Amino acid sequence: MPRTRKDMNRFLLMLLLGIVVLLPIAVRSNQYTLVLLTTILLYGVLATAWNIIGGLAGQLDLAAGAYLGLGAFTTGTLLIRWNVSPWLGMVLGGLVAVGFALLVGYPLFRFGVKEVWYALSSAALVEVLRVAFLIWNQVGGPVERYLPYHEWSLYHLRFATYLPFSYIMLGLLVLALLVNHWIRQSRLGYYLMALGENEEAAEVLGVNTQRCKLQALAIYAFLVGITGGIYACMYGFIHPNFFSGPMSIEVAILGIVGGMGITYGPVIAAILLVSVREFLRASLGGQLEGLYLVVYATVLILIALFRPQGLGPLLRQAYDRLLARVVKE
Amino acid sequence: MAAPILQVSQLTKRFGNLVALNNVSLEIREGEIFSIIGPNGAGKTTLFFNIIGLQKPDAGRVLFRGTEITGKPPHRICALGITCTFQVPRAFASMTVEEAVRVGAYKRYRGRDMLRKGDEVLQICELEEYRHQRCSDMGLAPLRRVELARALATEPVLLLLDEAGAGLNSMELAGLMAILRRLNEEMHITLCIVEHVMQMVMGMAQRIVVLDYGEVIAEGTPQEISTNPRVIEAYLGKGAVC
Repeated sequence: MPRTRKDMNRFLLMLLLGIVVLLPIAVRSNQYTLVLLTTILLYGVLATAWNIIGGLAGQLDLAAGAYLGLGAFTTGTLLIRWNVSPWLGMVLGGLVAVGFALLVGYPLFRFGVKEVWYALSSAALVEVLRVAFLIWNQVGGPVERYLPYHEWSLYHLRFATYLPFSYIMLGLLVLALLVNHWIRQSRLGYYLMALGENEEAAEVLGVNTQRCKLQALAIYAFLVGITGGIYACMYGFIHPNFFSGPMSIEVAILGIVGGMGITYGPVIAAILLVSVREFLRASLGGQLEGLYLVVYATVLILIALFRPQGLGPLLRQAYDRLLARVVKE
Repeated sequence: MAAPILQVSQLTKRFGNLVALNNVSLEIREGEIFSIIGPNGAGKTTLFFNIIGLQKPDAGRVLFRGTEITGKPPHRICALGITCTFQVPRAFASMTVEEAVRVGAYKRYRGRDMLRKGDEVLQICELEEYRHQRCSDMGLAPLRRVELARALATEPVLLLLDEAGAGLNSMELAGLMAILRRLNEEMHITLCIVEHVMQMVMGMAQRIVVLDYGEVIAEGTPQEISTNPRVIEAYLGKGAVC
């Protein structure tokens, strides 16, 4: 039995990792549970990526759907047209998302668009792209474009079950968490936290706030873009509705509810809230359309009222208290 | 006479119809403690913001050791060696004192040297006991010292302090003044203090400039300023000079 706090932390982390790794296999016969699990992981990745621009840098970004869609369309189009493997496609998709993020982010940050104005601009971006891809018939258009079907192809990233996708998504989540962790301990992390609190004070202390925000935006867009590539392969088609406003907002909500700037916060929020949402949809969906959203929104309001600093700190307190009982130092 | 470290010439800043700064010229010399005083709304903070780059002047120039810095962004000006503290502390609320100071220390150092720089300024500003405390949980006096420590960590050669003594009791003020004197005498940092607390200005400044309605109305030693009729008029109104 572990004695010290550090041992205990490590032990529990290993245990948790073991459970997470084995979970998809355990539920593999039930595709619904597998989809749910993968969806939770998907939102976990997106919200963890959002944490960089939203939590650390304090920019209320509502454009996750834009970068997700760009990643999905890049990966999907490359696969459909030129049979390019999604493994390469998703990286290119990430880069397209970065390119687009810089193109839009540069003038926004250059002219000091911030707070609600930044939120509105980024939200508009998603809708603009959705409409643009609806009109752009060569790549998008109103009809779904299906990726080539394969029973089991690692090259095409197409599988008849969701099992591999849950592992790929898990891998992405670990990547996103590591990136977060790394940034938090780097100069960029300090600079982002400082400018997120007070931009002028950060500037005066030598922080090039414009460049730091662009860097944060680029890293976020890249992670979301990659995720978009996997998203396309998982669902087997691409459609302009992937540029989803509601999804973008939900990503931001998870990031905020998890606790701004806390590395593991968004994941916790994703696990709890996406499960709650899906459970409500499954149990209430058949009775009255939209009822589950009413209940879901109520849960969010309760959290905002009683735990404005987020779920992350709440869980941390509970964990510390529990640990104090088990471990004697 | 020491060489000028900062020259402000004919600086003008307007906000709509309001002329916040009108043709302000002044010169801060290498190594001195310089002070800018004036009644509320005289344009002192605006002057600071225009020097540091947070606002761009409509006319006029700012020279730092002979090179023009007018309208450059604050982070570039900081890299050259000028930084400031704010009138109302702008704390990095969610960060600990230690972390806040590191933001400044990262300007010139990396890795272990950066940590050492952070420790050094915490010690100078007598903040070691607060090291792990969040900035949001701190009182005004230590918070003002955090502002100072943060700025100091960027290793400025010219430090602008905007009412660093406001709201402090006489004991806290004495502590702050001792720290500032040390910065000036031992670390050779040129100080420019904007202040309402006369005890601090008269006790520290070697030269004073008085602003009123955005214009320089007097310049001189503390002795000269305290007897200047225009200054007394600006502060107390016409007829106060008997």
